[in-house]
Amino acid sequence: MASPIITLAVGSLARHGRALRLGRAVDPAVVCAAVRQADPVALGGTELAIEAPTPGSVHEFVGCIHPGMGLRIRTALAQAGRSRGLSTPHDETLDDLRAALAKLDPPQSDTADHRHAVAEATAETGRLRERVATARGRVAAQENDDDGSDRERLADAIQELSEVETREAATRERLARERSDRRRRRDRLERRLELEDRIANLERAARSHLVDHLREEFTRAVAQVPSIEPAPSHTDEPGPFDVDPVTAALAIARIGDLSAPIVLACDRFVSPQAAHECLRSPIIQV
Amino acid sequence: MLLVIAYTRPARQTLRNVRRAHENSVVRSFGRAVLFEATEFAAFQALRLRARHGEAVQVERTHPFNEFASVPESVRQAAKRYEAREQDAVPYHRFANDTDLPDPDSMKGAELGTDRYYTPRE
Repeated sequence: MASPIITLAVGSLARHGRALRLGRAVDPAVVCAAVRQADPVALGGTELAIEAPTPGSVHEFVGCIHPGMGLRIRTALAQAGRSRGLSTPHDETLDDLRAALAKLDPPQSDTADHRHAVAEATAETGRLRERVATARGRVAAQENDDDGSDRERLADAIQELSEVETREAATRERLARERSDRRRRRDRLERRLELEDRIANLERAARSHLVDHLREEFTRAVAQVPSIEPAPSHTDEPGPFDVDPVTAALAIARIGDLSAPIVLACDRFVSPQAAHECLRSPIIQV
Repeated sequence: MLLVIAYTRPARQTLRNVRRAHENSVVRSFGRAVLFEATEFAAFQALRLRARHGEAVQVERTHPFNEFASVPESVRQAAKRYEAREQDAVPYHRFANDTDLPDPDSMKGAELGTDRYYTPRE
């Protein structure tokens, strides 16, 4: 794959090439930001603009290589495999599950209103139940009044009882409705969680598939990029992934197809041109 | 006790963190549900979770279940006699048919009481 020519402009001074050196001490993160965005970034009183193809997802991991960087080696290696168009037996199921997840209604972010409605209906039901009991007591008291002199007060009490009972029933219904709505919303959340978990599991499986596939190539690439001597071991039992982050990032950059330039802030290579030849990507050395 | 259930990945993560940080308040945990002791501190943790994750966190208060206090004698007898049946393959509704045992529908229609069936032993 021929790597693309990039344009790097500091202020009005533009240069073109595949291996460029930025002739001043700058924060590599700033340069990397300029690679990833279309607009120029501010750089010490002037502007830095980089014209290059859009970076792929492996660029997020190894697009900016500097001492002190951290790297999730297996994840990055899997992304490098993806950048070369490698697939896994899990991809089809993953696509289906992601599509199913996208089709689900998004969860409601703010359900405080619903919770208030439930709380209100609950409190109201309790209050009204007490009033029903009181009204019933009054009706009973009037009825037991033998002389029957106060039929009007009995009628009032019955009237009030019936009104309060009606309101109580309506509130109770509202409460039941709110509760069943809530249960339905949680059912939906549960369905979403189930899909998300299955997707996460399959993503892990796909990642290990890609890592297994690329393990030997990675070991070779580690030997082909310049490393620091002696290579320090992080564990008692050194495996292919027991390398320092910079060496691993260089190896992964060599394996993957980054298309966008790599910002290099380490002194492993004698020149940007040497880095370009080793990593097969455009290089901006800072 | 307080039963706290998480319904989203972020809520589940926070619940896990709380469970790990306050093991002494945890009675038991199952997947994305945790049973906390009935203390104000546990309630505080549950409310904190709900404040952060809203409806993705369900909080329920549980009560101890004592069948001698809250279940009628007929239901207790039904369970005992059904489990002592001779033929394994008989479903309960057929087993209860033509006996004095309660039928499933009537049990489904009866809400469980709280402590109203308790009668002290003589």
